[in-house]
Amino acid sequence: MEIIEKRESQYARSLIEASLDPLVTISTEGKITDMNQATVNITGSTREKLTGSDFFNYFTDPQKAREVYREVFAKGSVADYPLTIKDQKHTDILFNGSVYKDEDGNVLGAVVVARNITEQNKTETELTEAIVFAELATGIAEEAQSKAETATRIAEDAVKSKQQFLSNMSHEIRTPMNAIIGFTKVVLKTDLSPKQREYLTAIKISGDALIVLINDILDLAKVDAGKMTFEQTPFKMAASISAMLHLFEPKIQEKNLQLIKEYDTNIPEVLLGDPVRLHQIILNLVSNAVKFTSKGEIKVSVNLLNEDEEKVTIEFIIADTGMGITENKLEKIFENFQQASSGTSRLYGGTGLGLAIVKQLVEPQGGRINVKSKVDEGSEFSFTLSFRKTTAEAETVSELIELDTEIKSIKILVVEDIPLNQLLMKTLLDDFNFECDIAANGLIAIEKMQTKSYDLVLMDLQMPEMNGFEATEFIRKKMESQIPIIALTADVTTVDLAKCKAVGMNDYIAKPVDERLLYSKIVGLIKKPALINYDEEKESEHSKKPRCIDLGYLSHRTKSNPKLMMEMISLYLEQTPPLINVMKQSYMNKDWDSLQAAVHKMIPSFSIMGISSDFENMAKKVQEYANTQHKDDGIHDMVLQLENICSQACIELEEEFHRIKKNNL
Amino acid sequence: MNNKAVIKLFLVDDDVVFLKSLEIDFLQHGDFIIETFVTGELCVKNLSNNPDVIILDYFLDGIDKNAMNGIETLDKIKAVNPDTPVIMLSAQDKIDVAINCMHHKAFDYVVKSETAFMRLQKIITTIFQHKKMEKELNWYMERM
Repeated sequence: MEIIEKRESQYARSLIEASLDPLVTISTEGKITDMNQATVNITGSTREKLTGSDFFNYFTDPQKAREVYREVFAKGSVADYPLTIKDQKHTDILFNGSVYKDEDGNVLGAVVVARNITEQNKTETELTEAIVFAELATGIAEEAQSKAETATRIAEDAVKSKQQFLSNMSHEIRTPMNAIIGFTKVVLKTDLSPKQREYLTAIKISGDALIVLINDILDLAKVDAGKMTFEQTPFKMAASISAMLHLFEPKIQEKNLQLIKEYDTNIPEVLLGDPVRLHQIILNLVSNAVKFTSKGEIKVSVNLLNEDEEKVTIEFIIADTGMGITENKLEKIFENFQQASSGTSRLYGGTGLGLAIVKQLVEPQGGRINVKSKVDEGSEFSFTLSFRKTTAEAETVSELIELDTEIKSIKILVVEDIPLNQLLMKTLLDDFNFECDIAANGLIAIEKMQTKSYDLVLMDLQMPEMNGFEATEFIRKKMESQIPIIALTADVTTVDLAKCKAVGMNDYIAKPVDERLLYSKIVGLIKKPALINYDEEKESEHSKKPRCIDLGYLSHRTKSNPKLMMEMISLYLEQTPPLINVMKQSYMNKDWDSLQAAVHKMIPSFSIMGISSDFENMAKKVQEYANTQHKDDGIHDMVLQLENICSQACIELEEEFHRIKKNNL
Repeated sequence: MNNKAVIKLFLVDDDVVFLKSLEIDFLQHGDFIIETFVTGELCVKNLSNNPDVIILDYFLDGIDKNAMNGIETLDKIKAVNPDTPVIMLSAQDKIDVAINCMHHKAFDYVVKSETAFMRLQKIITTIFQHKKMEKELNWYMERM
């Protein structure tokens, strides 16, 4: 028995000794009576010293330890009481203890266990830190998000105001430039001394350069603002290109260069595209070629690369025998304000914007531009563009008609309010041997037209009393006259051009007026008045008229799902006519709130149905106007135009709807 | 938050053309359950269907003057369920409209344009990232 008991007690003892948590027994007086190895380790003392010593001394806060001791003996036990052991590391522990008694129930002492919780505390601290970090990160993320949003808004606003500024500036600069260049040209035709001629030529060259620069900047601003739009009008490619190359002939002769044209006759005669932009691209490249070539030849080739049922891909190559470009500059020349060598601009002039614009004009149309060059041997710029095929006939091609002395006794009415410009136009027209009357505004023009007959009207747009749009509308609708009208505009933004066409003008010409262009336009219109009449156009054949809608966006969005497309179209057809009515009614009743609401609701549908963003902008203007009731003469026009375009869109969409329906039965 | 989980969207706009185009966009770009409403009143009535996100037009009282406008609808939604994120849509690109929406606790503000859908998509992703972060944070908080 005794042996077994002894063995059991030895077994219990070894268990106690093995524990990593310090175990201590204390007497009722608070003296240590026994302990295990863990206690010895943690206190750094010896069994002999610990036995009989005061239990409280081993804690950082003896007062608290004493309380624990009292609690153990008072209640019989204590659980998870936090204390700190006074060792080198100040180990944090949780204190658990209970009293032990003899057979009679007398308290002999207490057994206490101190659980080391350093690790646990560490984990807890780390967790707290992690949470704090997480919170901070969320905060930072939110802040960053709102900052980014604000920044985006500011940037968008900045782009808009830049665009506005540039377009205003271009207008303000063009008007005086018009007079400067125009009168210089006029003076150059008079008898001059060689010196005077030289000086005046310098003025004219500088003026021309300035206009080019302004146009370039305006174009780049448009590209930056995403406002560069490409038209899809039928045009004659071959005629268009040879007319343009014509412009370079004097310059090329002057430099004693040779111009070689190669045109692939397999290219269809009429194609759909943007001839103005194509001109601009080729113009920039050829004028560079002419500028940088002092001897040899300039070769312009137009080749048909690909042809399928819908479209053709055409490659244009402009090669010169000029100074060439070093290899390390080749990559950079398409960037803004870059020229092949920094000294180039001093020698040859130019802003370095030309090629940047060319790239910006080619790539958004889905084309590619390439350059090959060898120093001192020449450069070759090539680009490819795709054009849709069409069965439509090309509209009046801006072919330059040679000065033709046969055409005489043409009577022209110039409607222009600025005296300088009046004089300039009169001088130019006198030069052409045309008869010319001046009216200072639209009202006077109409009066004059009622008493005398004219062959053509040159109409400025911004004028007091009655502006060019109103006057044209009056002439077309009230007087029912089909007299050719050419708009004179200093601001060639697309909005104005659309407006010119909408009120029934035949053509436009940008100030400063190029006399050759003016002449050819006048003669062209008098020879064959091709009036762009919208009513006629609506009745004309489906394939012939330029459509105002473009289902490209819708078809892309719906992945060409006919059911979804039909749903969208029918919703538009349901919603739009009542909106047009509300717009018209509220405009007439001067119910600005309803006008704003109706136009507001129209705005998103323009882009969905692929209607030109000009109209969307117009709608925004009307909305702005309704909002502020700021007086603007143009509003009447715009409401009218919106009505027209939406009605036309409805007609076209109805056709589209039936077409889709038929194809998917 | 599993990205594949179906997200329930409410689209509210009185412009039925735009509404339809948005619906088509969303249906083609992910797993969405979509309910569309042409008025704020209808949207509020159906809040019991528990949408995850609501996309709400700002100018709902344009044609029908007695209709509830976007901000009123937003307030009602927030009164019923303050945690439902609402993205405001408007054709007007005006900073004060945006600020007004934010003051009424809209999650974000998007101008109607061709890029509106892309923006909405991004914002919805952000909303769920946001929710995920909040969830994680709560998880930590509970275990402190």
